[in-house]
Formats: sequence, structure tokens, C-alpha cells
Amino acid sequence: MSDLDRQIEQLKKCEPLKESEVKALCLKAMEILVEESNVQRVDAPVTICGDIHGQFYDMKELFKVGGDCPKTNYLFLGDFVDRGFYSVETFLLLLALKVRYPDRITLIRGNHESRQITQVYGFYDECLRKYGSVNVWRYCTDIFDYLSLSALIENKIFSVHGGLSPAISTLDQIRTIDRKQEVPHDGAMCDLLWSDPEDIVDGWGLSPRGAGFLFGGSVVTSFNHTNNIDYICRAHQLVMEGYKWMFNNQIVTVWSAPNYCYSRCGNVAAILELDENLNKQFRVFDAAPQESRGAPAKKPAPDYFL
Amino acid sequence: MEVEVDEKDLRSAGAELLTDGRRGLRISVWEIESRNRSILTSLALQQWEQNLQTCHLPEMIFGESCLVLKHVGSGTKIHFNAFDALAGWKQEGLPPVEVPAAAKWKFRSKPFQQVILDYDYTFTTPYCGSETVELDADKRESGEISGGSSGLHWEDCEEQLDVAALALKEPILFYDEVVLYEDELADNGVSLLTVKVRVMPSSWFLLLRFWLRVDGVLMRLRDTRMHCVFDESANPVILRERCWREGTFQALSANGYPTDSASYSDPSIISQRLPVIMHQTQKLRVPGNL
Repeated sequence: MSDLDRQIEQLKKCEPLKESEVKALCLKAMEILVEESNVQRVDAPVTICGDIHGQFYDMKELFKVGGDCPKTNYLFLGDFVDRGFYSVETFLLLLALKVRYPDRITLIRGNHESRQITQVYGFYDECLRKYGSVNVWRYCTDIFDYLSLSALIENKIFSVHGGLSPAISTLDQIRTIDRKQEVPHDGAMCDLLWSDPEDIVDGWGLSPRGAGFLFGGSVVTSFNHTNNIDYICRAHQLVMEGYKWMFNNQIVTVWSAPNYCYSRCGNVAAILELDENLNKQFRVFDAAPQESRGAPAKKPAPDYFL
Repeated sequence: MEVEVDEKDLRSAGAELLTDGRRGLRISVWEIESRNRSILTSLALQQWEQNLQTCHLPEMIFGESCLVLKHVGSGTKIHFNAFDALAGWKQEGLPPVEVPAAAKWKFRSKPFQQVILDYDYTFTTPYCGSETVELDADKRESGEISGGSSGLHWEDCEEQLDVAALALKEPILFYDEVVLYEDELADNGVSLLTVKVRVMPSSWFLLLRFWLRVDGVLMRLRDTRMHCVFDESANPVILRERCWREGTFQALSANGYPTDSASYSDPSIISQRLPVIMHQTQKLRVPGNL
């Protein structure tokens, strides 16, 4: 068994790799990712997955439902890390699979694959806690800069983490972005990872935060028409039912983190399976049962809050 | 959240846990129950949007979750739920808070046909609980009088919360925390409304907390505490303290405090750093048996 296969087996048990192994893995991953396009071509059949957010045991449920890689060809739409308890193991397993089977798994970047966001929402702290230093966080965030920004399945389905940008009307415009950088605070690359579809606007909307675009149905219609695609598949937003179509089936949100947010939400998760003819089947799944998780659920001690 | 409770403590306090899968207990003249449920389905969310006349609601609304403290003799209920809290948000209607990136965005070229949304995406609410009087237990839906018309009246008072009594390590017979709504502000911070309750042999105490952090901009904490001592009188008195705190990251920095958001994940640790902008104590005398 090669080192890489052994590491994959280890990660599947939710055991993190040694720091030196992470470094070597990231270097190999970089060589593969640097060759990928900003609009990475993906062949069908393929199974599309939305946000995972460090919910390692739920991702194992996902593989149970969708089948193992490489037998199943996967496309993950980003947000592998933050919020959940196992961002390190989650991301490293996906990255190890990418290095082992580069043509059978595609990873694109979510807005959480960023130095700034991971310092606020958990991945940085988790690396520090598990390794006693921030080196692993550095290796991983350096790899984030190489992740592709979007994918195009059989020239017909455009996949991206967040959504569209007013600065982008054609796929070729995405192809010209210099992506190897921290996610910027504005501009096309930022929009692709951050923006959301919104029912109540038809064209473009600006979030009340003063940053962040919302796009309406006519924007999606015109993008799909210009680029000759059937629909857009994106992630980024929690959906109770695991997936949600909008604007007459021109865009679908896929969410793959069941019982999100520290097991509070009670939502189901979904993945989208496309066969070789691009026929769709959503597979909905629940969170991993408590007994299959590494640590038992802790009963909180009565809290003498004031 | 299950907590092991000592049977002996319960018995000696004259309390009994609720049955049939309900969480809570009966103690003294009170029945206290908490419910933790899933977030609203997309369909229910649409219904709420209609009822609240808004197109924007927090991404996680625990619409069926609640905490209810019912005075058994009179049917008076103090309760906490997301719907009433969001009605409060809608009514207060604060102007939106701009995030730091907004400064840069002002210089971006504007797309054709841009709508600027201007609702309060922080879901800040003045909510401090709901009161109803249940007239007839058999007619739950129709027999309730809520809020102002219920005849319940909170009056301003000089009394303060008895912190010394609350600091005593009495056994906790019942404890729970109920999240009412939560929003991640699209990864620009957190907006969270929760209520925690603990019931001891001598009293119940609860904390309803609205916690907001807009990264790099401001933090807001709106706490409502209620304390009710069991004295077996026909008219128990509930003391309510409301305390609002608010501060900008800029002010924190000027005071020498850190300004990275990671330092501000737990509001209970940092609340003292935020200046008080509103403080009020009131009491409610629960009416006698009806």
C-alpha cells in the first residue's frame, strides 16, 4: 500500500495526518490544481455536493449515499472547512482523494477557503488546537489559493460556490481571472464565491450590508442564454430540504451539511447525481447517527449563568 | 440538551418532571416547559414572511421552539418564541449597518438596474418575552389574550436582581437553552437570539439574550433577565431586568481591547467591555387564580 493510500485510510477514520505529511500532500496537490482552469471541465456522470463545513462524520454519510471515490465521480462546491469540529480531517481527506484520483474528484473554492474567514469561523483555531502551531493552517490556506473557481459539466451545467457577478457575462471572462490569491473583498472573483440569488430583485441587488450582490431571475436567464447552459448549480446557502430550485429551474442550490450548525438545525442534506445523459437525481440524507461519531455527545453541565 | 437531575433533589423540592416526552417540570405554582425543534421548512418560512410582511428573515428560525413558564392557578404564561421576537424586529426597523468592505464597494462600477436593499439584516429586536393569559385550558387557541390586553402589567421598580441569591450553588432541577433564531450575516458575524432557563428549589431564573456581532463594525447585546422566587403566595412576583449594551470595534480598540472577531465569540466573556446604553428593572405581579 502506498503512503497516500495509507493516509487516505487513516483520514477515513478521522485521524489527522502528521504535519510533515500535510506539507507533502499540499505540495503534490498544488502541482495538480495549478493546471486546472478557472472553469474546470467535468464529465458526466458526476455527483455534485454543496457545503460540508467540517462535518466529517456527515461527509462519510454522504459517501455512503453517493458511493466511494473513485467509483463515483465527485464535484464539491467549496466550504469544506469552518464551523464544524473536523475541518482538518474533512479537507485533508478531500485533498488526498484529489491527489490520488485527480480525474475523479473536483474541488472548487468556497468563500470559507480564505485566510481571513478561517481565522474567524474555526479552521484556524482547530489547526492550532490539533497541531500546536499554525503551520498546517498555512499549508492549507496556501492550497486554497489554487482551487478552481467554477466547473462546467458537459458544457451544459455551470457550477460555482456562490453565484454570478455583474462583472461577468461570459465564461471566458471567468477564465481570465488570476485566481491564485486570497479571496478579494470585491470584484468578479469575490462575487462568484459570495453572491446569492434573490427572489425579490429581478436584475441586481446590493445587500443592505453595503457589500455583496444579489441576483434575480433575469440575470440568470441572460447568463444561461449567453453561455448556452441549461442551469446553474451552486451551494453557499442553507436549505432545510437539502436543495432548492429557483427562477423556473434555472438555478439550484445544493446543501450537503445535514443538521447544520452544531447539530441545531435539524435540516436534511442533499447531493445531486447526474448520469451520463445529465438526468438528475437528488439524494437526500440525514446526519450521521450519534453512535457512529467519534466522540459521544456531551451532556452540558447545568450552567449557573447570571 | 439533557441534564441528569437528582431524583432526590426533585422530590425534596416538591417538583415533578413533565412526562410524555415533554421537557420541563412542575414546581411550586409553575409549570415550566422548553421545546427545541428544527428550523422552519421553506414552506413554513414563506408563511412567516407573509404573516410578518417581510421578504427577509433569518436563515435559521427555530419557529416551533419555545420556552413557556405557566402560572398554573391563573393561566398566566410568560413565554419566548421567534415569531414575537421577529415582529419586534420588524417594528423597530433599525437602519442597516454597513460592513467594512462597503467602503470599497462604493467605488465599484454599478450594474445596470441595481436595487439597494435597506432592511435591518442584523435582526436586532427589542423583544423581552411575551405574556398571555390562558383563560381555558381546553380552548388553547381561542382563549388566549396576549400582550397589552391581557391585563398583565410590568411596572418600573427600584428592586434589583438578587445576584447573591442567584450565585448560590443550589441544585439545578431543570436547565435548558432554546435558540429562537440565528443568522450568520452571510459570514459577516453573528446574530443570535437564545433563552436559557434554570430552575432551583427556591426560584426560577432565565436569560433571554440577543447577541449581534458585525465583524469589524459593532457588537450589540440585549439581555432580559427574569427571576421569580417561589413563596407560595397567590400572586407571585416576577422581577425583570433589561440591559442593553453596544459598542463599536473602533471604541474597543481605543480602549486597548483586541479587535479581531475571534476574541468575541462568547458574549458572556466580553459583555463587561461594552458600555450599557439602556437599563431598566420592572416587576410583574401575577394575578390571582381566575
